Formats: sequence, C-alpha cells, structure tokens
Amino acid sequence: MNRRELMSAVSALILTASMTSGVYAQEAKPVQGGSLNIGFISDVRTLDPIQSTQWTERQILFLIFDTLVEIEPDFSLKPSLAKSWEFSDDGKQMVLKLQEGVKFHDGTPFNAEAVKWNLDTRRDPDGKSSQKKQLEAIADVVATDEHTVTITMKEPYPPLLALLADRAGLMVSPTAGEKFGEDLGSNPVGTGPFTLGQWTRGSRIDLAKNPEFWQEGLPHLDAVTFNDIATNAVGIQRMSVGELDFISQLDPLDTRLAGASPDIEMVKSKSGLWYSLQWKWDAEPYNNPELRKAVAHGLNRERLNQIIWNSQGIVSNGFTPDGLWWTPTTLASYEYDLEKARQIVKDAGLEGTTLKLAAPSGDTLRRISELAKEDLDAIGLKVELAPVPQSEYYAKTVAGEIRFTPMRWTQRADPDGLVQFLFASAGGANSTGYKNEQVDTWIEEARVSTDQSARKALYDKIQLQISEDKPYMPIGFSAEFYAMRKVVGGFTPMPDEIPRFRYMWKSQN
Amino acid sequence: MLVLIFSRVAIMVPNVILLTFLLFAAVTSFLGSPAAIMLGEEASPETIAELNAKMGFDQPLLTRYWDWMTNALTGDFGRSYTTQQQVAEMIANALPLTLELALWAIVLGFCGATLINSLTFFRKFFQTFTAVISIIGITVPNFFLGLLLIYIFSIQLRWLPTTGWAPWSDGVLRHLTYMILPVMTLTAFYFSSFTLVYKAEYAAVRNNLFIRAARSKGLSESRVSFRHILPNSILPLITYAGLSLGQLVGGAVVTETVFSMPGMGRLLVGAISARDFPVMLAVGMVIIVGVMVLNLIADITYSLVNPLVRTSA
Amino acid sequence: MRQLSPRMILGLCLLLVITCVAIFAPLIAPLSPTATSVNVFGAPSGQNLLGTDQLGRDVLSRVIYGTRISLQVGASAAVIAVLIGGPLGLIAGFFRGWIDYVLVQVIDIFIALPGLVLALIITAMLGSSVLNLSITLGVVTAPTVARLIRGQVFVVREMLFVEAARATGASSFWIVRKHIVPNTMRVVWSQLAINVAFAIFTSASLSFLGLGVPPPSPDWGSMVRDGTSFLSLRPLLSLGPGAAVALTVFTFYLIGTSMNAAASSNDH
Repeated sequence: MNRRELMSAVSALILTASMTSGVYAQEAKPVQGGSLNIGFISDVRTLDPIQSTQWTERQILFLIFDTLVEIEPDFSLKPSLAKSWEFSDDGKQMVLKLQEGVKFHDGTPFNAEAVKWNLDTRRDPDGKSSQKKQLEAIADVVATDEHTVTITMKEPYPPLLALLADRAGLMVSPTAGEKFGEDLGSNPVGTGPFTLGQWTRGSRIDLAKNPEFWQEGLPHLDAVTFNDIATNAVGIQRMSVGELDFISQLDPLDTRLAGASPDIEMVKSKSGLWYSLQWKWDAEPYNNPELRKAVAHGLNRERLNQIIWNSQGIVSNGFTPDGLWWTPTTLASYEYDLEKARQIVKDAGLEGTTLKLAAPSGDTLRRISELAKEDLDAIGLKVELAPVPQSEYYAKTVAGEIRFTPMRWTQRADPDGLVQFLFASAGGANSTGYKNEQVDTWIEEARVSTDQSARKALYDKIQLQISEDKPYMPIGFSAEFYAMRKVVGGFTPMPDEIPRFRYMWKSQN
Repeated sequence: MLVLIFSRVAIMVPNVILLTFLLFAAVTSFLGSPAAIMLGEEASPETIAELNAKMGFDQPLLTRYWDWMTNALTGDFGRSYTTQQQVAEMIANALPLTLELALWAIVLGFCGATLINSLTFFRKFFQTFTAVISIIGITVPNFFLGLLLIYIFSIQLRWLPTTGWAPWSDGVLRHLTYMILPVMTLTAFYFSSFTLVYKAEYAAVRNNLFIRAARSKGLSESRVSFRHILPNSILPLITYAGLSLGQLVGGAVVTETVFSMPGMGRLLVGAISARDFPVMLAVGMVIIVGVMVLNLIADITYSLVNPLVRTSA
Repeated sequence: MRQLSPRMILGLCLLLVITCVAIFAPLIAPLSPTATSVNVFGAPSGQNLLGTDQLGRDVLSRVIYGTRISLQVGASAAVIAVLIGGPLGLIAGFFRGWIDYVLVQVIDIFIALPGLVLALIITAMLGSSVLNLSITLGVVTAPTVARLIRGQVFVVREMLFVEAARATGASSFWIVRKHIVPNTMRVVWSQLAINVAFAIFTSASLSFLGLGVPPPSPDWGSMVRDGTSFLSLRPLLSLGPGAAVALTVFTFYLIGTSMNAAASSNDH
C-alpha cells in the first residue's frame, strides 16, 4: 500500500484504540453530583411529549419524563413506570401493572388514571398529537384499578408495547395538562429524574435534579444543561476548552477535529442511521426496473463509505442492521460493476435520461448527493442536483415535489415500526408510492401475530421482496460517534441514538 | 423647520408601508407552505393541508398583510415556526447584540478614520499607506477577514476565543474578549469606507477659500487642520454614518454568522434557511424601519446644519 | 489624452491574469474540480497544492475553476444592472418633473436598504443558480446605475442648454461628443467595474451564508463555508478561496476607482 493508505490505516487504528479505551473508562464507579454540559444542534420546539415531533427533543424529554417501558441496548424491553405486563391469549388485550408510590413533579400521583389520560389525549381524533396515528390500534383504555391499566386493541398488535418505550409512553401529569393547555410545551411536568429549570430559547436548556425521583440512587448528576451549538466543529472546540462535556452524532470527519485533544474520547454508536436514495417508485422514470437496476450496480457504495464515513460505516442491501431479531437472512444484492451498469443503461435505451436529485443543505445528505451524481453521470445518466433546505426536503418529498433524494431513518424498537410505515401501501410515511399486494398481506399478518418466530419468517420474506423491488436504493448504516470528555462516565450507546443521560455521571468538574 | 421635518416623515410612512407589503408579498408568495415546516419531518400530507387551512394560509394576500401589519404595530409578531418562541422576544434578545456590534464599528471606525486622516496630511507616505489599507478594508470580504483573524489570533496564537458570545452579565472582560474579533472585522470595512469619503471631504474643505485665508495668516498646518478643517468636514461624515448603516447591516449579517453570535443577522439567515416566515418578516420590518428612520435623521441633521439645503426642496 | 495611472495599470494587469485563469482553466488546473477521491481533507502536497476538501476534490483546481463562476456572475449582474437601471435613469433624467421625483424616491429607498439583506431575500425566493444570482445582484445594483445615468443625463442637458443659448450651432454637438460623452462613458464604466466588484463580493457572501450556487459547482463562497469547520486542521480550504475572492474584488474596485479619479480630474 502507498504512504497515504498506510497513514489512513494507522489513523483508523489509533481511532479504534482510543475508542476501546473509552469503553473501559465507562466501567468506573458512579460519582454523585456535578453538572453535565451537553452540546447539541438544537431543533427543539416544544417539551410536550404529546406534540413532540423533532429529533433532538427526545434527548430532553427522556430526562424530564419516564416512559412506561424502556429499551435495552438490543431493543428488548424492560420495565420502567410499568413494572410488569401481560397479554391476553387472543393478543387483543394488554394489562400493565404500574409502579406504586410514584409522583409527578407537581405532586400529582402517578396512577392508572394518569396513564389513561395520557393515552386518550394522544388518541383524541380532534387533537394534533404526533402519535395519534401510531396508537390507532388501541380501541379502549381502562383504569381497572389504582395501579392497573387494561388496554384493548382492535386487532392484536404486538408492536404496541415497543411504542410505549418511546414518545407515546412518556407520561405527562394530567393536572399540568389541564392547567397549562397550549403552554404545556414550555411547562413540562413529568415523573423523570430531572425538572426543567430555565429555558433560554436558542441558547440553552437547564435541567435540575429531581430529589424525589422514584428510582433509588438515580440520577447521579445534579444538573444537566443542553447548550445550542451552531456546528459540531464549534462544539468540539468548546469541548476542548472544557466548556462542554458531551456531543452526539459526530461523523468520522468531525472526529478528526476531536482527536487533536487528549481530553476527549470517542465512542462509536451502535448502528447509526440508515441512509439510502429514495425515488418515486411509481413514477417515470423510476418505475422502470432497468433504471433501478442500473443505479444499483452503478453506485459505488464502498467508495461512498470510504469518503463520507472513513470506511467506518456499513454498506448494506437492506434497512435492518445486524444483531436484531428481525435481521434478514437473505437479501438481493448488487455489487458495484461500472461496465454492467453502463450496459444496462445502453440496452434499456436510458442513455442521457435526466434525473433530478435533491441535495439537502445538511452536510451528509449533500455529500451523498454529490457522490451519487458523480457515479451516475459515469454510467450514462444525467443527474442534476437541486439544492433544498434541510428543513424542507422531507416535507417536499412527502408532497411529491421531490422525486429522487437521499434519505435517512433511525431504527424503531419493533420491525413493524419502519416496515409498515415505509413499505405498506397505506403506510404513514410511504412517500415512494411503493405498492406490492403480497407484501401488504405479509405486513398485516406480521403485525397481528404474537409468535415471534412466525413474525421473523414473515419479515424475512418482506425484506427479501423489498430488496428486489427496490423502492429505495439502500446505501448503508452511518458511522456515528459520541464525543465526551474523559471525566464523563456511565454512557452506553443505544440503538435509537438517544443518549440516556440519566444513568451518566461526571467524575470531577 | 417643523414643516420640513413633518413633510419628510410624511413621505417616510407610505414608503415603509409599501416596502413591508412588498416584503410580505414576496415572502409568503414565493416561499411555499409553512405548515410543512411547522409540523416537521414525518408529517403526513393530510395534517399539512389541515394546518394550512386552520391557520388561514389560504386567505387573500391583502387580508393576511393587514392582519400581520396591525398585529406588528402592537408589537405582536407572532410565533416562530421553528422555536415556537414569541418573535418579538427573539428580536428583543438579538437586537442589542447587533446594535452593540454596529455601534462599536461606527465609533471605532469614525474615530480611527478622522484621527488617522487628519494626521496623514503631514506625511506623504502615510497617505499612500492609508489609501492601501482602506482599499483592502473595503474589498476584502468580511467573512474572509473574520476567518483570517480567527485563524491568526485564536487558532495559532490562542489569544482569543474562536467564536461565540458572552453577555455582559458574564463579566465585562469576558464579554469584551469575545467581541474583539467580530468588532475588528466589522470595523475594518467601516473604517475603510469612512476614510475614502473623509479624504474627499477633507480635500474639498481644504481647498476652500476660507481655509486658505486662515493659512495665509500664518497658522501652522496642524492648527488649520484641527481647528478649522476638521469641524467643517465632520458634518457630512455624520450624515454618511447614518446612510452607510445599510451596508453595516449587511456586514453584521456575515460577521455574526462567522462568529456564531446570536444577533439579528444570524436570526435572519437562520429564518431564511428554515423558511421561518414570522421571523423573516419581523426582522425585515425592523431593518426597513430602522434604515428609513436613520436616513431621515441624517437627512434632517444635514439640512439643519446646512442652511442652503433648507431653503431648496 | 488618456494617461494610465499606476493604480490603473496594476488593476488591468490583475484583470488580465484573472481573465486568463478563467478562460484557460482547463489547461491551468492540475485536476478536475468535481472529481472526488478517497483522500478526504488531504494535507497540501505535491499533487494537491492546497490540499483536498471534504469529498477529496483538489482545492486548487476548484479555486481556478471558481474564477469562471465569479466572473460570470459579476459580469452578468453588471449587465443586468445596466439593462434595468439605464432606462430608468434615462427616463428620470429626460422627463424630469414628477416622473423624475417619483423614480428618485423609489431609487433612493432601494439604495438605502442593505444590499446583502435584499439579495438574501430575493435569492431565497428565486432559488440558487448562477442565473438567479446574477439577476438578484443585477436588481440590487440597478438603483446606483440609474442614479448615475440620471446624473449624467442632467450634465448633458445642462451643456446642451448652455451651448444652445450661445447659439454656436453645430459645434454644440461636437462639444457634447468630444467632452461630455467620453466623460459620461468613463463614469459609467467605472461604476460598472465597481458594481462587478460588489456583485462578486455579495455573491460570495451569499454562498458563504449557504444561499449561493448549487453543488457541485466550485463556487468560492461555498468553499469557504465548507472549510470553516476545519479551519484549525486545514486552513487553506477556507483561506484559499477567500483570498481569491478578495483579490478579484480588489482588482475590479481598483479599476473602477482609478477610472473614477481619471474621470473627475478630466472634469476640470
């Protein structure tokens, strides 16, 4: 190998070494007290879980509120506010037994009535909750006694429990809900380990320890502050002078900046986000399977991984990372073959076809577009890049204005989450127009089945079919990093990319 | 006199209304549906259409403008689409910073220009030197200058912090260390344009018969300079200070972005990127009104001092 | 008699260099400006004199090709400014009276407004492309051209009036042609040069703010923007294109102001 390749190999080794030592540092013992300063690129609009839609809001919500159940690093579920659960034989009823003696920050007792209020408010057809559609499977919620909730579903719906580990399960104080109404977003009241201190919009959010948190020994920190940073680079610079302790969602290029400082360590996230190129599957020219095949063979995904993620991402032909129970066994695969792609384009008479590819303004998506253009131009297609603000690209794709764009998704705790959402013809986020009746049937079957192995068999079939139909051109999973100062401990990367700060500590200031 | 002021103000009002209406029409017509932005990623087309109808985005332009304008005059600029904050509050937070930055630049630029240029008439080489510096100051884009300063003073020399801003409440010294580089960047431009105008004014005044008379009386060059020329040339400069505020706002936009300062400039750029209409409209209006008012003041001041202008319309 | 001041000579030389770089870019640039490579954020080396950017592209080649875009935008904007402002100025100067008054009011308003802010809003509406940027900047600089041409029309009128009063017949036109028109043209050209400088300055600023020419075009302002995060590691990514902007703006400004100086000195 030449010198340059040697250097990058060596630097990759050094990076891995510093990361593994970071893992060992997490094994130290928790320290009480201290204040954690987090840097994040904020898109926070509201702290009302019922209305929350934005990515970064969850980081804060998971501190002020508790969910009914929690996920483990492998997406399995463990008790939280619900200490146990049981499904009826026909799978249509779920009984939750709640923790006792828990109070909301405003003194309201946490009980079955509170859970009912939370779920009903979200399900309210006149309301605007972002989780309204997710909870459609629920027919009725009854508080059978003080600490027992019985949820009845229209059809058996196993994914429901996993939804209660996320936004839908964040429990808000009903008293606060009635009292604050529209302003609940600025006055969050939950049962969580932290309370909202001050919120200086556009600048910082200060959270203070809840001394009456119901879980013994938690939280370790006295205060958590979320600081707005303009870019990760600014955040890393502030971290190198000790102003910030933790930043998430760094890409491998950002880590180069952090690597310069001895005080900072990097931890790689579990699986990153799933990146792909999305097209309007049922419209010209993307409805031509030859075109899709040509793109599949013409996109040099390994090189893309090299350039964008320093070879630390994982190229994949599907949307499920390794290690989950629904990871498929076989998928249609497309190796990069320039000549083959060129031939397909020629044979199908597609030479010179113009494709308008959106280039969202955010760094990663834009770079993907630029690299895709280069690759596809080389096989005889003509790609035009159409810049679009990052805040708009998704809405425009949904509206059909954008027909070809890079796209990214995070994993959900249950396969039905992404699969139904994206690939069912009636799916809530199916903006590709993908429609395959066989797949629809399989998805419905898998939704309502309570037998995990039966579900797995179905999801295998679904994912294989999707990889052949190609409503998306999958690229792979990103390499994301968390950067933190060495004094920070207790961090475990979670598959939903949300740091669980409540379990973390700081060994000194 | 009062008639003059009154007539100038009377002209200003329809101008402001026209401009804000143009701004409103432009922003709302061209920039697409705000409902999609408000609801964020993962919202369905039905919800978006619903919100559009609910918020009255399908009403005629004039009605919407009227609603917005009447609210704006009472100080209610609505809520930001991205942060849900009261826009008036956001502006109240951002404006002082930008004003402070601009004020520093004006004061330093003004003083610097008048001082240095009053002196240059003694040493010829000084003249060329200042000429070169001012041309560089005017042509070097302030984002480049800002980054260069950051590279030299923050990254290489480590004397100053790179970006960001500390409020006065964090301590005077801390606040000032964060302000130094941005102020230097903005001042460079201001100093340069001032210098160029000043030189012209200064030369013109110097040639004035009245001044020549003073010199023929045997007064020294410096005395003539400071006692006679300087006062006479300052006036047009004050007018220029007001007029060039427009350029300063543009400079502030870029400077605030380079240094990540939470002022009006960054507010505007962020709002444009995110299609955040209420913020865009509010900031636009503040800038329009501000610029027009300052022009008005500069105009009036000038005519107050220069009696010749007063009589001609 | 046209004497070229040292400033003017310097300006013209620089302009020549820049124009050559733009025209002969494919011959001068060592590599393709859009070809990506796996050498991401490479340090300056023999192969990449200024290093490589976030997609492994050669920065020097991008700076060289960027000259084309800048000159395109600058020249187009200046032309559009004349196309819009010229007629307006002529109308105002010719008809005088209330037409002139109204036009002057409108022009003055737009001159007073911050150019960058105006450009920001218009670009946001029109979308980013070389054409739209040129139009935007043309519109933003048109008022100054209009004002200028109006002023020149007045000068010509005065001269004509005076000459007509002196009733020397045909020689009045000769005077106009020999003295006034060349002077007017010099003033207009100088303003054009300054407008080009302003257009390049502002379009680079717009790109820096994220609203400029779309990728993967090697636009100087966007390059500076992309390199900002890595200023500590690879300063040349930002400082290289930034210097290019500064130099080009300086060149046009120099030419414009030296023409202006020549024009006003000829006036007496």
